[in-house]
Amino acid sequence: MRRGTHGAVSALLALCMAAPLGLLAQGSDPLAQLDATTRHVVQVLMDSARSEGLPTQPILSKAQEGISKHVDGPRIAAAVRTVFLSLRGARTSLGAQAAPEELKAGAFALQAGIPEGALQGLHKASHGKSVTVPLIVLTDLVTRGVPSDTASNAILQLWTRGAGDADLLGLPKAVGQDILSGAAPGDALLKRARTIPLRPPGKGSE
Amino acid sequence: MTEFEREPQEAYVAWIAREARRPVALSPDLRARIVREARALPRPVRPRRSLSWITAPRPVTRAPLTSALLAAGLVGIGVLGTLTLTHRDGRQTAGQQATAAATSQLPASNRVVVHEFVLHAPAASHVSLVGDFNGWNAVAAPMTRTADGTWMVQVKLPPGLHRYSFEVDGTNGATFVADPKAIRAPDDGFGPSSLLLVGQGAST
Repeated sequence: MRRGTHGAVSALLALCMAAPLGLLAQGSDPLAQLDATTRHVVQVLMDSARSEGLPTQPILSKAQEGISKHVDGPRIAAAVRTVFLSLRGARTSLGAQAAPEELKAGAFALQAGIPEGALQGLHKASHGKSVTVPLIVLTDLVTRGVPSDTASNAILQLWTRGAGDADLLGLPKAVGQDILSGAAPGDALLKRARTIPLRPPGKGSE
Repeated sequence: MTEFEREPQEAYVAWIAREARRPVALSPDLRARIVREARALPRPVRPRRSLSWITAPRPVTRAPLTSALLAAGLVGIGVLGTLTLTHRDGRQTAGQQATAAATSQLPASNRVVVHEFVLHAPAASHVSLVGDFNGWNAVAAPMTRTADGTWMVQVKLPPGLHRYSFEVDGTNGATFVADPKAIRAPDDGFGPSSLLLVGQGAST
């Protein structure tokens, strides 16, 4: 009886010690809930991104988003592959010196269907300025239905003519309101773009 | 004892006393010799009392209740450690206050800003903020409801480009909603999401 009690207490102690360790192992691994194949895909893509000097966080974030939304493994694998390829495409378009935030913005733009040429145009016109703001505004406008070439040309024109970041960031909301009022997305953008005050080149933007 | 026997004894005692009182002439190098020889002796190894107390084996008896309490304490320490590490990893598992800061997986910076996220959803029963800054964990940043049906939460964010959305629980179950006031991110089939640029302009 005494031996049995000792055994039960020992087992309870072992269980109590093992439980937190299990929790710890699961908590420290953000991909623990993925199946083995998808997990392997994510890890390989993150390793590839790391070796190419690309940010790995967008890949991990996409996998975590899939886990959170209960997306199945093959779709998560496809999505993280798209993220990786779009980051790589953004690097090609924006150059090796592009900052991680520019690469992330460029990747979003490519995923929205904006051609690499538009990214290259912004990069050429950047003169060292960050292209993050024009890229995310461009992404938003295309997502709202503005034709890609219309949006790309308008943003490039505004940006090269000295439109500030705040001016550009105000465009999506204004264009969205016009679209809700019945305007065609492309027309709404062109109309709103004409209202943005431009600054002489070389004076910089805010 | 006779008188005859006592006298020689007293003389002997007196002699001993005299000898004992006689000053002794010590050699001048005696002190130095003693010190030298004492130093030459090996130093005795004496274990420290506190260490020996800790390392000395002894029988320990514990009641089962005491063992269970000790085990519970160990579990508590383990769980606390787990939660702390999990929090650092950006995958919080415990419910947080609405104003709690979400830990970011993005590069650390000393220019962390507090951003308030707002969504008007009067029909929702529960709304959470999910994004790349909290591992898309629905329990990391629950939003609080105001009287007019607006949900809000404040989150600390480092500079950078963040993607997020709102998880809204309503009569039709949980749905993901983009921030209507923010820059839109492309939808890749995982549901709508928004972009927030911290540290360079403001997207909302």
